[in-house]
Amino acid sequence: MNALTPALEIPSVEPGTLGACPVAPDALQGIKRQQTNPSRWRGGNWQAFAGELQGLGVELSESIAARGAYATDAGGTAYGLPHGVVVARSAQQVSNLLKAAQAHRVPVTVRGGGLTTEGESVAFGGVLLDMTGMSKVLAIDAAGLTVRTQAGIFWHSLAEELRRENLDYLSAPLNLTSSVGGTLGVGGIDVNSARLGCSADQAVALQVVTPTGEIVECSDTHNAELFERVILGYGQFGVITEATLKVRPYTPLRMHYYYYSSLRTAIEDLQLLDRNDASDYSGILTILDCAVNLLVAFDSVEREAAFRARWESRLRGHGEFGFGLRMLGRYALRPWKLGEALFLLGRKRELFPELRRPEYMRDGVMLDRTVVFSRAVWKFWGGRQMVIPDLATSADKFADAVERGNAVCRKYFPHYTLYCVGIRLRPDHREHYEMSCIPPDAEEWAYGCEFEPMTNGRAYSRDHLQSFKNAIYDIGVDIGASYYRFGGMMKGYIRRVFGDTLVERHLAMKRKADPAMILNRDVIF
Amino acid sequence: MFGSRSGTAAARAGHAACSGCSLCLLVCPTWRSTHDPRMTPEGRAKALQHGATAEDLRASVESCTLCGACEPVCPEQIDLVGMTLDLRARLADAEAVAASQERMKARTPIPPVSALRLVLAGPALTAKADALGKIARLLDARACADDGADIAHALQSGTPIPPGRLEGFLSGLRNAKTLYVEDGFWMRHLRAWLPKLRMVGLGEALSLLATVRGALRKTDLYVIDTRAYHVDYERLVGHYDRLRAERACSFNLDLQRIAIPTATQSAWILKGRSVERIVVERQEDGEAFLQHGGYPVVHVAELADH
Repeated sequence: MNALTPALEIPSVEPGTLGACPVAPDALQGIKRQQTNPSRWRGGNWQAFAGELQGLGVELSESIAARGAYATDAGGTAYGLPHGVVVARSAQQVSNLLKAAQAHRVPVTVRGGGLTTEGESVAFGGVLLDMTGMSKVLAIDAAGLTVRTQAGIFWHSLAEELRRENLDYLSAPLNLTSSVGGTLGVGGIDVNSARLGCSADQAVALQVVTPTGEIVECSDTHNAELFERVILGYGQFGVITEATLKVRPYTPLRMHYYYYSSLRTAIEDLQLLDRNDASDYSGILTILDCAVNLLVAFDSVEREAAFRARWESRLRGHGEFGFGLRMLGRYALRPWKLGEALFLLGRKRELFPELRRPEYMRDGVMLDRTVVFSRAVWKFWGGRQMVIPDLATSADKFADAVERGNAVCRKYFPHYTLYCVGIRLRPDHREHYEMSCIPPDAEEWAYGCEFEPMTNGRAYSRDHLQSFKNAIYDIGVDIGASYYRFGGMMKGYIRRVFGDTLVERHLAMKRKADPAMILNRDVIF
Repeated sequence: MFGSRSGTAAARAGHAACSGCSLCLLVCPTWRSTHDPRMTPEGRAKALQHGATAEDLRASVESCTLCGACEPVCPEQIDLVGMTLDLRARLADAEAVAASQERMKARTPIPPVSALRLVLAGPALTAKADALGKIARLLDARACADDGADIAHALQSGTPIPPGRLEGFLSGLRNAKTLYVEDGFWMRHLRAWLPKLRMVGLGEALSLLATVRGALRKTDLYVIDTRAYHVDYERLVGHYDRLRAERACSFNLDLQRIAIPTATQSAWILKGRSVERIVVERQEDGEAFLQHGGYPVVHVAELADH
């Protein structure tokens, strides 16, 4: 240490109190940050805590084999080890854990599918609570169209059970292994969200273990304030142990694809369909900004026929053959873009057969859309490192946001994908949406776009990836948007987009609900 | 590197490639019965990535049924079964090795059967000489004289196989052109040892017979041998899909078209299905379904009688 350089002092601050941010200048330089947990938890009281858990019959695994399995999340850029792991088995066990954690001030990080990308489900010390141990479907009410399930279950496991009753969930992320509880805590979007809303809005009632260990049932009419905070609450106000969800009769899908070379035109057409309830499923998936695919699908022949009669002619996209011809002409006139053309062609050759695998189709109808899309997502976009910054805006700001985000992608990566969907909002759930991925100015629909680099095995530095994310998130600050992934490493943006007043109000609620600030403490505040 | 299968046409990645997607959990029978992520291929791969030793993973490694359902769903194409077998080889203690060697020494050498087409049956089918003889006749083949049960046991438990014993077993297969294999587990090894030998799952071979296909009914539950199916998934998913389209029977397939193993999941396979008869490719699978009662269970070869 140079004698002229003062040592970086990390103040000793009790958990739950505010101190100066000790983080050295980094990729978030210039962003005002305040942390409630200014230093990593170093294991104080661990032995006493572990002893108490043993006395309560809560199995705590401290081996490297158990802890190492949770060292990172799907993002693969945040790494941390818990001191111990608890696999959830019952609400009572979770309650015992949280009561002991409050008493000993031990952080508890809750993990479902672990599909966070900013380290939100990575434990930097303390206990990692793996909710996937609670994965049973408890009751299916086929007449009332609801299901009661333990909340650690993967959406796909739930779908397997529902299908035996010829039922399906309403909407869920297209990846198969998001957990129900984790999704209800952050949102969850699907290609039918423009019609059915985000996954979190499917919840009818929840069983929640509060940060102080009370087991509480809540809904819009019962303990409504807790329900309001837990839904889209990023795990700050309780652990969801059971959920009652709306379900629907299962239907296979009639898919249509329209191809565009303009993002704005495709977005305008997407919003046209959404505004007019012209399709059951809609979304945009791109290869760079050259091949923009508007996906439109239907649950019934009648809905498909109505679309064809009234709306299809108004879409400005092309069929696969027509679009192929246009692209041929475009690249013939721009031979210096041959590399890009070859990439598009290669991607088409690999990806399209995956979307049409015969075992998932019957008579031209797609039987298992989540399986088809999710397998393709993992196969073509998965990997040890996944960076997926996003922007969520009101309908009128969306095209601008996507075009600006697209320019950032162009600058940082040779290849990338954009995924855009609408999210139908529930007017009666406006309170749920406060300080969430739903932007405050959105009316009727919010729109989300994920900006996903295709790294193709190439390694990028954390700084490069962080700079990319910051550039996307800065757009959100500039235009007044929100984000789906605003926790973990991106939490510096929370105060920038929502403002100190709102964040302080939520922080005060958090302190009241979680006096020792133990539950998912590094995620939001 | 655990499980990295290289030098073959189907080179696959090792445990370091695991990205933690959890797709293998969705199809893992051990996961379904324990709901403990440590007892899964992903749990083992991630633990190995972060410093665990084979000994740390003993309980997890021993819990694996080697059904192979995890491999076709792995987007990173990791040799997950190979990883588990490698770990078992590390964990095989002296006692297990000695017992395995003793079992092999005790075997009386069997003169090989010479035929162009052979059937390699598992222990349950081998014990039913009449049934095995009938299957061999249906396929115009002969049953292997040496069923290699001791070798199969050694492969699955990770104990070494004396070169002499292995050579003795393989020499009985070398003159054949086609081998019908009842337990698909054999395929991953035999393809490496005898790359020129054509290997077909016994279930697949029988289900290609017109008499067998013709006897399948809409109300049948057809139980595919999981190991044979998963080792040749990309080809067989189409084969069974065509069979479904032709006969409209149901299968022990989940929504990803992965075969659900019967050992601990026969009740789940039956849940919510309208079934009048169960048709099995493996003798052992039939026994798993008998405990549920009420359903006639027949081997796929028996359909040729109808």
